[in-house]
Amino acid sequence: MTVKKFLLTFSPEIAGEPITYRMVRDFDLMINILRAEIDEHGGRLMLAFEGSGSQIQKAVRYLEDSGVNVKELKEFIRKDEARCTNCGMCISICPTAAYQMDRKTWKVMFLNEKCIACGMCIDSCPPGAIRLRTQD
Amino acid sequence: MRRTYEEINEKIKKGDAVVMTAEEVIDVVERDGIEKATKEVDVVTTGTFGAMCSSGAFINFGHSEPPIRMGKVLLNEVPAYAGLAAVDAYIGATEPRQDGNAEYGGAHVIEDLISNRPVRLQATSSGTDCYPRKEIDTYISLKTVNQAYMFNPRNAYQNYGVATNSSERTLFTYMGKLLPHYGNATFSSAGQLSPLLKDPKMRTIGIGTRIFLGGAQGYVAWEGTQFKTNAAVKDGVPLSASRTLAVIGDLKQMSSEFIRALSFKNYGVSLAVGLGIPLPILDEDVMKAASVKDDQIFAPVLDYAVQSRTRKPIREVSYADLRTGQIEINGKNVKTSSLSSYAKARQVAEALKKQIASGEFLLTQAVVRLPEERVQVPLDIHSQEEVR
Repeated sequence: MTVKKFLLTFSPEIAGEPITYRMVRDFDLMINILRAEIDEHGGRLMLAFEGSGSQIQKAVRYLEDSGVNVKELKEFIRKDEARCTNCGMCISICPTAAYQMDRKTWKVMFLNEKCIACGMCIDSCPPGAIRLRTQD
Repeated sequence: MRRTYEEINEKIKKGDAVVMTAEEVIDVVERDGIEKATKEVDVVTTGTFGAMCSSGAFINFGHSEPPIRMGKVLLNEVPAYAGLAAVDAYIGATEPRQDGNAEYGGAHVIEDLISNRPVRLQATSSGTDCYPRKEIDTYISLKTVNQAYMFNPRNAYQNYGVATNSSERTLFTYMGKLLPHYGNATFSSAGQLSPLLKDPKMRTIGIGTRIFLGGAQGYVAWEGTQFKTNAAVKDGVPLSASRTLAVIGDLKQMSSEFIRALSFKNYGVSLAVGLGIPLPILDEDVMKAASVKDDQIFAPVLDYAVQSRTRKPIREVSYADLRTGQIEINGKNVKTSSLSSYAKARQVAEALKKQIASGEFLLTQAVVRLPEERVQVPLDIHSQEEVR
């Protein structure tokens, strides 16, 4: 089983398609919706697929064939190590424990695989060391 | 076992002094006991690196041709106080930029100066016979100014409350972002490394004490504002915010490694100051206090949803508890965050230890001790008659 995160962008015409339902029924994937937005330009859906590697691959192909722009997301957050003072303010803000304190060095570790791009850490960082990576 | 400042400084000069950080000495005391540890160790270094809003710097810009008596002064668009002589100003850490950009303020100007970045100086004046010039717009840096020294009226708080939020909305405070329904708790003291917690009655810290300030050698100038001595005490350690220090040091000798501008959303700007104080191990009592551990130091948990100067503590927690990453509040496990950096506090204590061990930093005996009794008064609305 693998977990991969994707950003799906689709035009207003296909915004009505029950994409997540098909992902579950046809490809046997577990889906965690991280963010969903829709406006006059269409929809943006950030989600995590959990399933076998081949099923995820097939699902991505299906989405692309349906006219959805699919981009795999590997890194949401960039922590500027020179700016970070390792205070740890981000730790109690993060809902998924993507930030953890190394109790030997007292330095803050960022675990990318746990990050769901909620962005709550960004405006909580006093020295301004955390930025959302531009995903386009 | 007794030791004098002179004896300690002689050893430092010879390179023979045994110096340890407040963290390292804990293990030595646990292993060897107070008596033996006191004999072994000459100096214990402390350190903290946290947001200290009551900070700022005096700058003398030098005189222009023709000269100006600066009235309004802006440094990178941040107002500085110029109600002093012609070209003296004080840039306060929390002063926001004039254009309302809440993410840049006096603390950033100070960090820019320390990092040798050019800073725009704009000043205006009504002009006088002796100072005819009415405006100036130029760039300065630490290289171009006469004096630039940090003078912080309140630093190094001896202990501080833990902040949490019982309300239904997120609170944006100087203690950081506080999530609703006790969603998190933030704390600020460096605990077992924090200078004033390791000499709680300030036997060895007073006016004139040489300290590590932002990477430079600075001094204790005075009691800090809101200095108070009447907080409840457990094992000799105050259980809530207590003593403070006013400190002074040369900006030109500081490093951005130990001075960092901070911005708190919907609150404003503050300055993280790296401050360390060496404790001369004069006798066993000094050593005993210097080796107190996080599990012997407690802080009150305060609900910042209560918008009052008097908040009743929800409970008391030890710094050892806070450092586990979670504490219990009303039966709920609440995640904790430190606002001060323990890694940096260690770095301060280590840097100070190195400077002492190499003979660069000698200890000073206080010229005057700070008050043994001081009560902090509130501000109430009074008539003229009542305050007379």
